[in-house]
Amino acid sequence: MAASSGDNPGGAPLPDVAAAQVSRRSVLKGMAGIAGAAGVSAFLAACGAGATTAPSSGGGVPAGSPAGGGAASPAGSARGTGQVTVGSNNSDPAPHKGMDLINQAFTKTTGIQVKMNTVDHNTFQDQITSYLQGTPDDDFLWFSGYRMRFFADQGLVTPIDDVWSSVKSNFTSAFATAVTGNDGKVYGIPIDYYPWAVFYRKSVFQQHNYQIPTTWDDLITLSQKMQKDGLIPFAFGDKDGWPAMGTFDILDLRLNGYDFHVALLTGKQKWTDPKVTTVFEQWKKLLPYCDSQFAGLTWQQSADKLIQKKAGMYLLGLFVSQEFTAAGSPSDLADLDFFAFPDLGTQYDAEKALDAPIDVIMMSAKSRSLQQDMNNAKAYLEFWSKGSTQLLMFQQGTGLIPTANDTDTSGYTALDKKAVQIVSQAKKITQFLDRDSRPDFAGANGMQSFLAKFLANPNQDLPTLQSQIQNFWDSLPPAS
Amino acid sequence: MTAAARAIPAPRARRRRFKPERALLHAFLITISIAWLVPLLYALYTALRPVSDTIQHGYVSLPSSLTLDNFINVWSLAKLPYYYLNTLIVVIPAVILALFLASLVAFAVSKFSFRFNLLLLMMFTAGNLLPPQVIIVPLYWLYLAIPLPSLVSLPFVGLFPSDNGLLYDQYVGIILIHVVFQTGFCTFVLSNYMRTISKELTEAALVDGAGVWTIYRKVILPLTTPALAALATLEFTWIYNDFFWALLLMKTGDKRPITSALNNLQGAFFVNNNLLAAGALLAAIPTVIVFIALQRQFVRGLTLGATKG
Repeated sequence: MAASSGDNPGGAPLPDVAAAQVSRRSVLKGMAGIAGAAGVSAFLAACGAGATTAPSSGGGVPAGSPAGGGAASPAGSARGTGQVTVGSNNSDPAPHKGMDLINQAFTKTTGIQVKMNTVDHNTFQDQITSYLQGTPDDDFLWFSGYRMRFFADQGLVTPIDDVWSSVKSNFTSAFATAVTGNDGKVYGIPIDYYPWAVFYRKSVFQQHNYQIPTTWDDLITLSQKMQKDGLIPFAFGDKDGWPAMGTFDILDLRLNGYDFHVALLTGKQKWTDPKVTTVFEQWKKLLPYCDSQFAGLTWQQSADKLIQKKAGMYLLGLFVSQEFTAAGSPSDLADLDFFAFPDLGTQYDAEKALDAPIDVIMMSAKSRSLQQDMNNAKAYLEFWSKGSTQLLMFQQGTGLIPTANDTDTSGYTALDKKAVQIVSQAKKITQFLDRDSRPDFAGANGMQSFLAKFLANPNQDLPTLQSQIQNFWDSLPPAS
Repeated sequence: MTAAARAIPAPRARRRRFKPERALLHAFLITISIAWLVPLLYALYTALRPVSDTIQHGYVSLPSSLTLDNFINVWSLAKLPYYYLNTLIVVIPAVILALFLASLVAFAVSKFSFRFNLLLLMMFTAGNLLPPQVIIVPLYWLYLAIPLPSLVSLPFVGLFPSDNGLLYDQYVGIILIHVVFQTGFCTFVLSNYMRTISKELTEAALVDGAGVWTIYRKVILPLTTPALAALATLEFTWIYNDFFWALLLMKTGDKRPITSALNNLQGAFFVNNNLLAAGALLAAIPTVIVFIALQRQFVRGLTLGATKG
């Protein structure tokens, strides 16, 4: 449905942004010999081609192609020719279907074939370094932030400033920052994101007459009430190691602010800093209200406690909604709501900072077919910058919010709208600890185990733990 | 199964003479077999329940409904038939090739004595001691550096033309690495077995005018069939269960074996464990079939080479 609206040149605001890119480029190319009017018709043909027959597009493209030169003109030169290879980590059924729909829509619109290489999410992540150095696909899905810049610095991804300049009007400046590398060049198109917040069931709060806490004291009072009512105040599961990072992030952001947090995770601040001690101290006050069985629970099992009304709150990402969807009862999903983590009474409360990881699509550097597919690869990136494209994925119930400004939000649930709101109100956005720092630091041997160590015995000597973390950081090989 | 088979004659034995040690033995055997079966039965139970049921009531609960839906869904969602085929493309040539090459080496080192005889066998056996993990980095770069098109004219490699001109990311590459790593063990077992074949047989053949090849093909190989069958069973199971090489030396998700199809069911965050349990059970079936069909060889395979001739 969304695909057809994207294909229709007459279809009101939605395709306009996308159309503008294509037309501007087509016009530039057509300038050589053809009048402006012909350029417009070329754009119309290129844009509507998917919906109509091939000959009409054939009429449009030759107008531009003789003057093609070195400039990338995705919609024009790629018409009906060649392919693009795409590495995807969307392996599980729902997002895999979303990828298929997007590729079909892309082929229909541009005539370019998409050869998708789907690898399961964990393997893709584990192998990304060797993948990018070996024979990567032209375009591939990845994360923004430090993990994007890490590979950009190594020259394993291709900057896409030319694509970005034509689509950037469709994104907020926060997204622009998230896809910019250390060298100031743009390396990715943001495709979706999700915020971390405190999730709860509306019906449980109504039943016990709970109020949404806005301060730390409110939160502790509420937690105590919940314990009296026989609820676990905070569902918490850290079997997989990473969920605890979410709590560390939000406490550090509230207590020490965005700048310190980012500097800490990139090695510009020391883990032995007393500011880090305050984070652990604050966390200690929250732990009596967290599920004591956390060490053996996955996030899904913890989410089940929220679904089963055994727990009152859960600090997690919006993807918790997937578990509610899988629970099979629409009323459960409609009952799910969230609020921002309360203020801690510091100057950094005003930042309203939160974790909102952004996924991106990027262009590799070492793909052996890239020279041949360059224009197609760029066209594919451009296609992903449209709201109509991102909506195809969103409609599969992935629980991830599209990034494009022109996304049709009429299908958003109240939860989705609130997610958009909470992120747009945030003055600072982080990507989650493991995406904001070196992979080898954030991994199972590093931060995951240090946080697990803290949680196993919160009353241990914190400076000792902190110096262990700092020693670990210092022991890592220099990032290139 | 062993426990059940032995349990049947037990009552008769008890009527004759009751031994407390025997009761203890059976209590032990029954406990152990239950302990082994519980995870499997639990997986089966989980696979039969819809995911919504387990989310609402937890995994340790009575079912509100039992269906085969997960099995039906996983069959198509995970494209299981497709990945079964992928695995067979690797397993069958790898097993045949490894056994063939190993039998040649084993024949040479066990039936002929020359200076480097023992050294050669030691080298093949020592290969087993080398954990494959230690050479993954050079191997990865080697695979990226070896061009394949020049080999396409060869009869075997030609069946799987390279689509990127490299050994990397090709079935041939995976088959070859399996052959390389399995030949050592096969050689060790086969040479020990061939040593047990009396020398008089080969000498008689020699007197009758048989060449080396004829001795290998017409005398030794037929006599080695039990060992080959046992090894084939073992090798099939090992290579079938391998995930490591395909993960390391293949990039294309669609070429990977059945073991990776299960990983495909895991999302970035959400994992449908019930569906995964159904998929895991289905993926395990071929090894179970092979084991049941060739059980006798399998058990014999465990004692192969235990007695050195």
